Amino acid sequence: MHYQGDYYWGYYMPTRSIGSDPMERVVKLASEKAVVIFSLSSCCMCHAVKRLFCGMGVNPTVYELDQDPRGKDLETALMRLLGNSQPVPVVFIGGKLIGAMDRVMASHINGTLVPLLKEAGALWL
Amino acid sequence: MFPSWPMRYRQTPGSSKSGGESTDSGSALNTISSKTENQFEPDSPISKKASSSYHQAFDQQNLQQQQQQQEMASDPSRTGTSLNQSAPIVKPLQEKKRASTSEKQLDAKTLRRLAQNREAAKKSRLRKKAYVQQLESSRIKLTQLEQELQRARSQGLLLGSSGGGVGNISSGAVICDMEYARWLEDDERHMSELRTGLHSNLSDTDLRLMVNTYLSHYDEIFRLKGMAAKFDVFHLLTGMWTSPAERCFLWMGGFRPSELIKILISQLDPLTEQQLMGICSLQHSSQQAEEALSQGLEQLQQSLIDTVAGGPAIDGMQQMAIALSKLANLEGFVRQADNLRQQTLHQLPRILTVRQAARCFLVIGEYYGRLRALSSLWASRPRGRLMSDEQPCQTTTELQMVQPSQSHFAHF
Repeated sequence: MHYQGDYYWGYYMPTRSIGSDPMERVVKLASEKAVVIFSLSSCCMCHAVKRLFCGMGVNPTVYELDQDPRGKDLETALMRLLGNSQPVPVVFIGGKLIGAMDRVMASHINGTLVPLLKEAGALWL
Repeated sequence: MFPSWPMRYRQTPGSSKSGGESTDSGSALNTISSKTENQFEPDSPISKKASSSYHQAFDQQNLQQQQQQQEMASDPSRTGTSLNQSAPIVKPLQEKKRASTSEKQLDAKTLRRLAQNREAAKKSRLRKKAYVQQLESSRIKLTQLEQELQRARSQGLLLGSSGGGVGNISSGAVICDMEYARWLEDDERHMSELRTGLHSNLSDTDLRLMVNTYLSHYDEIFRLKGMAAKFDVFHLLTGMWTSPAERCFLWMGGFRPSELIKILISQLDPLTEQQLMGICSLQHSSQQAEEALSQGLEQLQQSLIDTVAGGPAIDGMQQMAIALSKLANLEGFVRQADNLRQQTLHQLPRILTVRQAARCFLVIGEYYGRLRALSSLWASRPRGRLMSDEQPCQTTTELQMVQPSQSHFAHF
């Protein structure tokens, strides 16, 4: 699992021109990596989601919104996207929205999660 | 102004007294002065008493000091500070207010100590104010909590006024248990229908209808648990809604899906290769999901422990408020666990034939029926010589009842 951000972890990211619209930013971040999780470092359900993917051998890209200076806007955008009162955790696979924890688990149980991960190149074998 | 009194007094004993007299009154003054230094409010009764005793001591000394001032002036062995101190102390009591404000007549040390005293007193006053404010806000929070409790109690019509009489069971828990008992009765009905359906070789379409009805029956219990989680999550998490034997194997407020699938695999032969793979992969996915949820819950527990353990610097009411907000996350975990259970049950008819799915549900129902029966048997088992002679026979007959047919268990 690796953490990404504009200003953190000594990782230089080129300045973006589409910084203004949070929803656009969500979509852009979601499409950049195979598995993207929006999370809050204090949220225990987010921890559960991260553990699920790590347990499957997947290396998700995690964005901790409480450590992002524009995190609040992203949270609001995610809430609107899901129609939910909980902004996190939200999972994107191959740029496609999977949803919150309940949808992730449902898709794992009904067997659709693993093919999606393989398709996105996050899982081999 | 008041704190400055002890300062002047402390200097007096050393400067003006002679012989034993000085030590006696000196020590008395010192104790009084140290007492008054701890007063926050100049107008408190204790400080008033002290100030009156100050007044007395002051008057007594005034005359003596006036006499001794000439002595001091001629005696170079006395400390320089005492010479300086005697001048303001000579002033009469009524002029003390004017005396304390003429600070240029006091030296640097005294000035510093006066300032420190004022600071200390000010800080004490501020601390007290902050404490009182905290108490006020806590009181408001408490009344709010009490109101919520009242509202919740009023919703539980069954309990009435005897909230404590039923052993501290919340109204939400009572309703949950009632609804669950009703669900168990429905479950028995559905199961006997399934049994007759299987034995009478119904068509697959009819059997599928029954299976779907049974699935909706399970959806119902998850819906009920979802509502119960809002009212009393602890009732679900501690398994108080189920029988003791079921509670023993509890995972996050209910059954562990992977365990259930293990049971089914052993009961479901013959299975085709594809079906076996499907079931095993279901078990595997369920295990991974359970593990993830367990780890998430563990992190929540650790975070709660850290909050409740707290530290000496943490304010009690705030600590409780933080702990309360963390507890609210428990509901989310119970819901996700129930979601997992529901999804697993729904997946079964997708990987199995209709007959196999019907058999699955029967196996599940009977298994939990037996666990409930086990709980009752265990509760009524003979415990040594305390029981009368009839008891052992009773258990034996119970056990004999147990053997003949499996369907007996459903009626326990």
